[in-house]
Parts: sequence; C-alpha cells; structure tokens
Amino acid sequence: MTDRIVGALFFLLAVGYALEASRMQVGFLSDPLGPRPFPYIIAVLVGLSALWLLFKPDPEPDWPPRRFWPVLGLVLLSLVAYAYLIVPLGFIVTTTLEMTLLAVLFGARWWQGLGGALAFTLGIYLLFTQGLGVSLPAGRIFG
Amino acid sequence: MDILQALLNGFGVALEPLNLLLVVLGCLVGTLIGVLPGIGPISGVALLVPLTFALKMPPESAIILLAGIYYGAMYGGSTTSILLNIPGETSSVVTALDGHKLAKQGQAGPALAMAAWGSFIAGTLSVVGLMTLGPLLAQWAIRFGPAEYFALMVFGFSTLSALAGKNLFKALIATGFGLMLATVGQDPQSGISRYTFGFLQLEDGMDFLVVAIGLFAVSEVLMLLEEKTPGAVRAQVGRIYLSLRDFMASLLTILRSSVLGFLIGVLPGAGASIASFVAYTTEKRLLGAKARFGEGDLRGVAAPESANNAAAGGAMIPLLTLGLPGSGTTAIMLGALISLGVTPGPQMFQKNPEVVWGLIASMYVGNAVLLLLNLPLVGLFVRLLAVPSWFLIPAVLAISFIGVYAVNNNPFDLLLMAVFGLVGYLMRKLEFPLAPVLLGLVLGYLMEINLRRAMTISNGDVGYLFSSPIAIALWVLAALSLFAPALIARFRKQGLGGDDEL
Repeated sequence: MTDRIVGALFFLLAVGYALEASRMQVGFLSDPLGPRPFPYIIAVLVGLSALWLLFKPDPEPDWPPRRFWPVLGLVLLSLVAYAYLIVPLGFIVTTTLEMTLLAVLFGARWWQGLGGALAFTLGIYLLFTQGLGVSLPAGRIFG
Repeated sequence: MDILQALLNGFGVALEPLNLLLVVLGCLVGTLIGVLPGIGPISGVALLVPLTFALKMPPESAIILLAGIYYGAMYGGSTTSILLNIPGETSSVVTALDGHKLAKQGQAGPALAMAAWGSFIAGTLSVVGLMTLGPLLAQWAIRFGPAEYFALMVFGFSTLSALAGKNLFKALIATGFGLMLATVGQDPQSGISRYTFGFLQLEDGMDFLVVAIGLFAVSEVLMLLEEKTPGAVRAQVGRIYLSLRDFMASLLTILRSSVLGFLIGVLPGAGASIASFVAYTTEKRLLGAKARFGEGDLRGVAAPESANNAAAGGAMIPLLTLGLPGSGTTAIMLGALISLGVTPGPQMFQKNPEVVWGLIASMYVGNAVLLLLNLPLVGLFVRLLAVPSWFLIPAVLAISFIGVYAVNNNPFDLLLMAVFGLVGYLMRKLEFPLAPVLLGLVLGYLMEINLRRAMTISNGDVGYLFSSPIAIALWVLAALSLFAPALIARFRKQGLGGDDEL
C-alpha cells in the first residue's frame, strides 16, 4: 500500500513538474531547444516509473514502532527551529541545545548530554572560527 | 606526455608539505569513518568539502584530501566487521562472514593483517591501473562532442539505476528526482528562473552539499535514532601479524580480486559494495573444496577487502577521464572540483595535470600511510568505539551544521538540510537508493547543457544524438544495462545485497 501511495505522489509530482515547465515564458534569446524539453523528459521518466510502482508495489517496508514517530517529529522540529534561531541566538547556544536534545534521545542523562554538547560545541566553534577562518554566527542577542 | 615524467611531476605536487599533510589527514579521517559504524564515506566526504572551500585550498589539495577519505574508509571498514561482526561500511559486509568467524577462533590478528595487506596491494595495483588506463581513455574521450556526452550520461544513469537498488523503478524515480532538483534555479541559457517558486535563495540552484548532507548524514542520524544502536563497545585486537605462509596462500586471491574489483569500480553504479560481494562469491566458486569459505578462511577476508579497495581506485577513472561519477561519493568529489573551478573530463589531463597526477601520486602515498595506520595503530582506532553513541552521533550532526552553514552563510540552507534529512529517511525506509538523487543533481546541469548544445549544432534535429558510432554504442549499452537487475537478482538471492552507499 505504501508504495502505491508513493507511486501516486511521484506521479502527481511529475505532472505538476511538467505543467510548471509548460508555463515558462521564453524570451527571444533562447537556444533552439529552450528551457522546457529537458524537464519534460524528466517528467516522463518519473511519471512512467511512478505508474509502474503504483501497479507493482514492493512489500510493505518495516516501519518503526509507533512511539518513534513523535521522536522523529521532535528532531525535525528542532532542526527547523535550529535554522531559525542560529542567527539570533548564535552557533554556540543553538548547537549546544540541539546536541543535548539528541544526546538525551540517544539515552544520555541530560547533564551528561549538556556537558558533552557544550564542551564539543565550544571546541569546534573555536577550531572553525579561530583556527580555520570559517565565519559562524556569534548571536545577535549578544552584541 | 610520458607517463613516468607526468608521475614524477605528480609526486612533486603530492609531496608538498600541505598536500602530504592532507593525504595523512584524509586517510586518518577515512579510517575513522570506516571504523565507526553508521557514518559512511559519503557523509564524511560531504562534511569535509566545505572545509576545502573555507580554507581556499587549490583543487589538487582538495581532491587529494577527499580521495584519501574515500579509499581510507575502505581500509577501516573491515576492522569492526572482523572484530564485532558490525560492518563499518556496506562494502565490508561480506568481510564479516569469514572475518568474524576467524576472530571468534582467536584469529583476529591474522584476519586484520590480511585485510590491511590485501587492501594495500589492491589499492596500489588500482592506482597503477588508473595511471595507465586513465590517460588512454582521456585521449579517446577528448573527441566526444555534446551528443556523445549526452549519451554517456544517459548510460551512466541507466547503469547506476540498474545496479544501485533492489527495485529498478525506484532507482529511476530517484534519478529523475535528482534531475528535477538540478533544474531548480536560473536556466543556464535563457536566464529565466525555473522552479524557484519565488524563493530568492533558490535562484542559484540547490547546493549539492546541502542536499548531500541532508540526504545522507542527517537521515543516517535519524536511522540510528530509530535503531537505537548499541552504545559503546570494547573489542580486543590482540597482536596483528600474518605468517608468510598464510600470505602466500592468499596472494592469488588478492590479485584476482584486485583485477575484478578494479573493473567493477570503473563501471558507473557498481561500486565497492558490489565489487566486494562479487569477488567473494567468485573466489568461493573458484576455490571450491580447497577453501573453507564461511567457516573462517583468510581468503574470505582477502577477497572482499582487496576488491573494495581496487574498486575505489577504479571509480576514479570515469570521474577523472569522463567527468562521470559512478557513485554518491565520487559525485560529491565532482561537485567539489567544479566549485573549485576544475571540470573533470578528458581535457583535465592537459589543462590541469597537477590535479590528475598530483592525485595519482598521492594515492601511492596514501596507501602506504593507510598500511601504517591499519597495522600498528588499529588498536587505537578500535578504542574509539568506546565513545558512547549519545556523544558521537550528535557531534557528527553538529559538524554537519557547520558544513551546511559555511556553504553560503545562509540559515535557509539549514532548513533545506532538515527537509532533505526527512526525505532521505523516508527513501531509506522505502528502499529507494539515495546515490542516484545526488548524481542527478550534480550531473543534471551538464546533461541539459550538452543536450541543448547538441540541438543548437543540429538545429533541432534529434537524430544528431544518434549520429556517431560512439553515441550509438553508448545508447545500446544504456538500454542493455537496464536488464542487469535480472542478472543481479541471482546474486541477491544468496542474501548478499549491494547497497547504494558506494
């Protein structure tokens, strides 16, 4: 069943992708082929393969136990929050928090996780900014 | 140009202090990645590419470092296969069959030594192969026009799709999905924006590193989180030695597996994982009753470990001479070289000899370094396994964040990374191969550009794509390779599957 759903989704993706290509406005300065045919070729490839999947699906994948989904959701949410918070809060704070969360999910005590995360984050922050000249956000709230 | 003279110049590049340091660093990181289960060479290479950008490394230094990680991981992967029955990499899955049996019989030392020597001999032989065949292939390919290139890429994608996953159609979808990602951003010729949906951040296209780190590194972390990997483990190494008698008994196996692995490595899509299990099954059949494969035979370690190292060397041939990577890892190397201003392909042998020959020379050095790292120092690496996973895995993720952020100094990329992390996780669960996505993304631009150049030359006549013997041959090979899965299925029935993390 999963593969049928995935097949249907990829089929819709291919159709949408082709429709979007057909709406492209091409100026006079283009080459003979233009920007549309290559996307059409890809859409046909994906569309046909997706149809095959729709009619000949593989056996069900072994999904994780139900209690894993909230964990997965939490991690993904934290990654999104990380992207939004890294500039205002800075690399050190956000990375320490993210690493701590993951450490706890991997079975550490929170103080173990926090200690390890803080030490490692400080270490790589110094290594990359001072040693290797990579610029990482220091955090707007601190300056 | 004379090969020996070129190689001499190459050693001039490889022995510069910075490059020498990078070979050692690459081999060290590669061995680490190889030893640690869960972190594959693709993630390792992807995580170090931003560093090469940030340090403004010249292209030859960058590729020397990245290649070191790639073949270094092949050495390291055997260690945990043998000691703990946990393959460090997919290319060492077969090594566990006999390797771990040997360890249980108290023969861990000879097994580890055999893996290291086999890897060294095969690695060195594959560099010799690369050195002699590479320039020949480049000379031949220099006449390729856009039609031949387009056909070549179609061939590359069809063999990759045929070999990368269990289900051909899922692999084709993955390839198409990667190509779709490649079309995001400004159209190279007409300048209009495609598929950006108003996001200014997408105008320049999706960065292959962001996609690679999300798709491989982040999804790996999610998989490990689900599996709740057993935490720290301790393993006894013992004395690493190999008697001359054992070595001589395995020498033919090493040599045969080297040649086989090298040839398989050259083929796009069939990388180290497939090479290792084909070599194992071939040797098993060849030796028959003379060997005790599956019960703890040193040749059962020698065959896959030689083959996967030879394959890593072989995989450099299409990358360097044709600009056609055959795996996720080599796709990242291609992307990195392009970003550094060098386009791999037949012209590179003339335009950037320091990159090609510097790399080749560095691989001789690297293989010697790896032998040192893996024989006397293997115990040190094994001790790293005692680092608890609650520290190690978040630490890898933290380095991914730096890698992704450093690409454009833009937090939007971190968002994109999270999205591709989820996509990668779901694809792994549903058994879609991941490498074709990356290859599609990296090669899509070149593929479209060559198609459009061909059509400009022919004024829109599609027949031009099939107008030269080389192009026709490539189209025929591309079509034939789609039947390969039926053949592979026979091997797979024995429970030995290749994986896409090549």
